[in-house]
Amino acid sequence: MNVTLNWLKTYIDFEFSPSELSDRLTMLGVEVETIKQLGTGLEGVVVGKVTDVRPHPNADKLVLCQVEVGEAEPLQIVCGAPNVRESMFAPVATIGATLPIGLTIKSAKLRGEVSHGMLCSEKELGFSEDAAGLMELPTDISLGTPLREALGLDDVMFELEVTPNRPDCLSLIGVAREIRAETGNPLKLPAVDLEESETDIGGLTSVTIDAPDLCPRYAARMIQGVKVAESPAWLQQRLESVGVGVINNIVDVTNFVLMEYGQPLHAFDYHKLAENRIVVRRAADGEALTTLDEVARELTTDMLVIADAEKPVALAGIMGGYDSEITETTCDVLLESAYFNPSSVRATAKALGVGTEASYRFERGADPGAVLAALDRAAQLIAELAGGTVCEGTVDVYPGQQPLREIQLRPNRVNFILGIELEATEMEQILSRLGFDVEASGDTYQVTVPTFRSDITREIDLIEEIARVYGYDNIPTTLPKGDIPVPAPDPKVEVRKSVKRFLLAAGMMEAINYSFCDPNCFEKIRLASDSPLRDALPLQNPLSPEMSVLRTSLIPGLLENTQHNRNHQINTIALFEIGGVFVREGDQKEPERIAGVLAGQIGDGIYGNPYRNPDFFDIKGLVEGMLETCGITKYTLQKTDVPTFHPGRNAAVLLAETQVGTFGEVHPEVLENYDLPYKAYLFELDLEALVDAAVFAKHFEPIPIYPKVERDLAIVVDKAVLSDMPTERIYKTGGEWVESVRLFDVYEGEQVPEGKKSLAYTIVYHSATETLTDKAVNALHERVVKHLHQELGAELRM
Amino acid sequence: MKAELEAIKTEALQALKEIETLDALESLRITYFGRRGKLTDVMKGMGKLSKEERPAMGKLSNEVRATLTEAFEDLTEKLQSQQREQQLETEAIDITLPGRKPAYGKAHPVMQIMERIEAIFGQMGFEVVTGPDVETEYYNFDALNTPSDHPARDLHDTFYLTDGHLLRTHTSPVQIRTMENQQPPVRIIVPGKCYRVDYDVSHTPMFHQVEGLLVDKHATFSELKGILTSFARQMFGDQTQMRFRPHYFPFTEPSAEVDISCAVCQGKGCRSCGNTGWVEILGAGAVDPAVFEAVNYDPDEVTGFAFGMGVERIANLQFSIPDIRTFYENDLRFLRQF
Ligand SMILES: [Zn+2]
Repeated sequence: MNVTLNWLKTYIDFEFSPSELSDRLTMLGVEVETIKQLGTGLEGVVVGKVTDVRPHPNADKLVLCQVEVGEAEPLQIVCGAPNVRESMFAPVATIGATLPIGLTIKSAKLRGEVSHGMLCSEKELGFSEDAAGLMELPTDISLGTPLREALGLDDVMFELEVTPNRPDCLSLIGVAREIRAETGNPLKLPAVDLEESETDIGGLTSVTIDAPDLCPRYAARMIQGVKVAESPAWLQQRLESVGVGVINNIVDVTNFVLMEYGQPLHAFDYHKLAENRIVVRRAADGEALTTLDEVARELTTDMLVIADAEKPVALAGIMGGYDSEITETTCDVLLESAYFNPSSVRATAKALGVGTEASYRFERGADPGAVLAALDRAAQLIAELAGGTVCEGTVDVYPGQQPLREIQLRPNRVNFILGIELEATEMEQILSRLGFDVEASGDTYQVTVPTFRSDITREIDLIEEIARVYGYDNIPTTLPKGDIPVPAPDPKVEVRKSVKRFLLAAGMMEAINYSFCDPNCFEKIRLASDSPLRDALPLQNPLSPEMSVLRTSLIPGLLENTQHNRNHQINTIALFEIGGVFVREGDQKEPERIAGVLAGQIGDGIYGNPYRNPDFFDIKGLVEGMLETCGITKYTLQKTDVPTFHPGRNAAVLLAETQVGTFGEVHPEVLENYDLPYKAYLFELDLEALVDAAVFAKHFEPIPIYPKVERDLAIVVDKAVLSDMPTERIYKTGGEWVESVRLFDVYEGEQVPEGKKSLAYTIVYHSATETLTDKAVNALHERVVKHLHQELGAELRM
Repeated sequence: MKAELEAIKTEALQALKEIETLDALESLRITYFGRRGKLTDVMKGMGKLSKEERPAMGKLSNEVRATLTEAFEDLTEKLQSQQREQQLETEAIDITLPGRKPAYGKAHPVMQIMERIEAIFGQMGFEVVTGPDVETEYYNFDALNTPSDHPARDLHDTFYLTDGHLLRTHTSPVQIRTMENQQPPVRIIVPGKCYRVDYDVSHTPMFHQVEGLLVDKHATFSELKGILTSFARQMFGDQTQMRFRPHYFPFTEPSAEVDISCAVCQGKGCRSCGNTGWVEILGAGAVDPAVFEAVNYDPDEVTGFAFGMGVERIANLQFSIPDIRTFYENDLRFLRQF
């Protein structure tokens, strides 16, 4: 919604500068988004009168003019415009002026004759595309007046952001009312003094409302004998100053009054209405209407139309019909001013995908009380500007008339909610200035709501009104009374924090991906055709196919990030993400996952810290570290058949019997699908499962006081023996004396028989209650070796 | 013998003056103190002395020995420290060679800001609560006093699922879910993802909000101002000025938009604040009675206030990233900067 300073001043007096006004309105809740000075670039352009026109001695198409600009001597100006003539008033760009088109005026000789300025066309002044001739000015302006002043362009435009609850501020008068609340100055509403002809409107037309639920009020007036033409300059300027396009005098008047009162009006060509009458009804099944924008629209039976005796002629509150619009030949006008049901207008506009200045206001709620005032104002202006006479009387069908709303206001409630101590009388003053009728009754007020404030229905609405006019700035700043609650610790937050802290310390960078993904990604990560992860929730209105389903895994996002980085020549990739995925079944429909990727290289590639390639055991270390940081020690790893991974290089993490995640080397085909020239390693874990298993309670274990004894043990076993099988047996055989077992070497090749491998462990023996003797350790160590031989066929390697 | 001892002493002390290395010193030591050393030889002659001569000579020889031993030790120490210094000199390295930095990761910039917001409100006793991203019309709109024909719905361009659910357009549904399950007092903040159909340099279809809600027997608008002022000073610095502007949200009344003084120009007006000196950071207001009614709270018994802020917006006050979609490309050159 745009308003200008000068236009506002026609409805209320105020002394604010543009920036003051902007601040005041903004702090009342009508936010000023931009302030724009109009008519810039017209400095040095003044009103002049052509007093003499003589032929140019050296050019057929040019003439020599004497132009008076209110100075002692007239200016000689060479001009080539076809419409130049004696006594005409036109804009004169004087020496030194720079026009909006970029031309700077200098004293010049044209074909040998001196020219001291330029007579201007509209195009040269940036007003329109009209370059056919000089712009004609009214002849009652004093010569030498700056053009900006003469045209009323010395004005400032404000672009307002009006919130959906304030349709009353979608008008100049509405904004003026806000200024009244601020200043207390009275409104100056337009004086309407209609001269009616003797022809009674009742004999010319009628209005029938068949759908009073959707059209509570419909009023009409008739203006006969109009002449459709261009609007006068003042009207055009007003409309243009707030960015409304001009059409013709009839339509321009309706738009002017729309801006003035916020009341949408519509002008019909009376003679194009079948039986010259109006029926307000729901559209019939299969009916259609071609609207002003020349679009043929199929109507449905829940849409309200304005019809004549036969067919729809307008979409109620949205747009007029093409066939009944005002044209150059229109002589009798039927002017509509109505109030339509907001939900109905909104639903129809939405269904048809149209939005207009009218529908914008009706769907937010117009003022049923302004219907007649706006109608009379427009009728009078049409009669004034387009000739014609206003018929006697108004048709006003008002089946939906409601008594004015009354609300009880408790002043102490106002202070209670806002935390202020305002006198009741001050509240009363504020409400009165806003146009409410306030009556004291005991400790409370009975407040009557004017028709233009459809948003005020409850006491809290009045409290807000008082708050904003009193000024949010004047409300004190206090801190809540009462104890600060101490929230119970949330184990999920703990797990998320611990895991994240660990991964960050391990050099992983945190990523955030969109919750939507491309359904093709499931193919790209080779999910089994019956994988439940393929059953992603689709969006009804996705932005693009690549963002059309909700993700069921964090892995595709991280692989895409890997691809993006690699495409930008970043090859040290270590990323993780913690976030929700979306599944259809189960109690946890948005389980939180944690996933990570390692790809390319590790290290910073500098002297002393060269790059190396990550491998399976890097990703495994990350997973184990995360589990450890959550206090989870009882888990098992087991190979899986998840097709995203290399079949021989992956594992599932099991807590008790439940799989809570997988990790491993990415399958070469998946690497190809993401254009990755090097190996990548992934993990994805179910954060919720970690939460269930996490142990954060810490307890102290005494620091060992007896010395430990370390023994190295190298054994040769079949290749098929996994490294943790000896470990497990060492612990079992060694019992409580085995403090730890560390695998420090794995070797295959020369010196080890075919089909065998060598594993080397350091066993740390320790007792909490005594110093272990060599003898005792040796005995135990031998037992360990013996068991390894018996159970795994392990031979000591010499 | 006396003369002999004196001569040895003079000669040894003279010889020490010429010694420059520990090795030379050692052989000199052997020359005097070794089993066949000069001093040892003289000492061996002690037995031949008469009983009367012995004590004086003994004393003298001990003195000479002590003097020489001390001189040798002094020189040893001096040479050793010289040798260490020389060695350290040769061990000097090029300190401009690169250091070995342990790898360290960084939290996503949006998360960094969100965690900071959580921490500030955490100190004020706000509990972190979360809710689902996939919501119903009821929780996202209706219960928040935004029925389907309400023009305010136009402000949210909503993603719908094909089953009639939607992706929440704000974190406010969690207000409703919390109040449905908890009696007042309530003091929560709700960080989370939100979604709107929007994709340009200043909008991503997914973004983050932090919502706050406080409900008590008597929570006032002035307390809302207090809490948010305290937050803004901690978040943006204690010189931060606040401006509460009347605004409209369906689920709060009175409602406000909250601006802070522009950090770039200190409120004087510049390009980044559109010459107003103010930058909008959040929306807030007293909980609308209709919302209380939707969760079966009695609006005459409790009052409350709520607020919500866009995390990307707040992050970008600091970072000034021209295209906020960059946040979700996860380009490591970008992530490393924060
Ligand atoms: Zn600024």
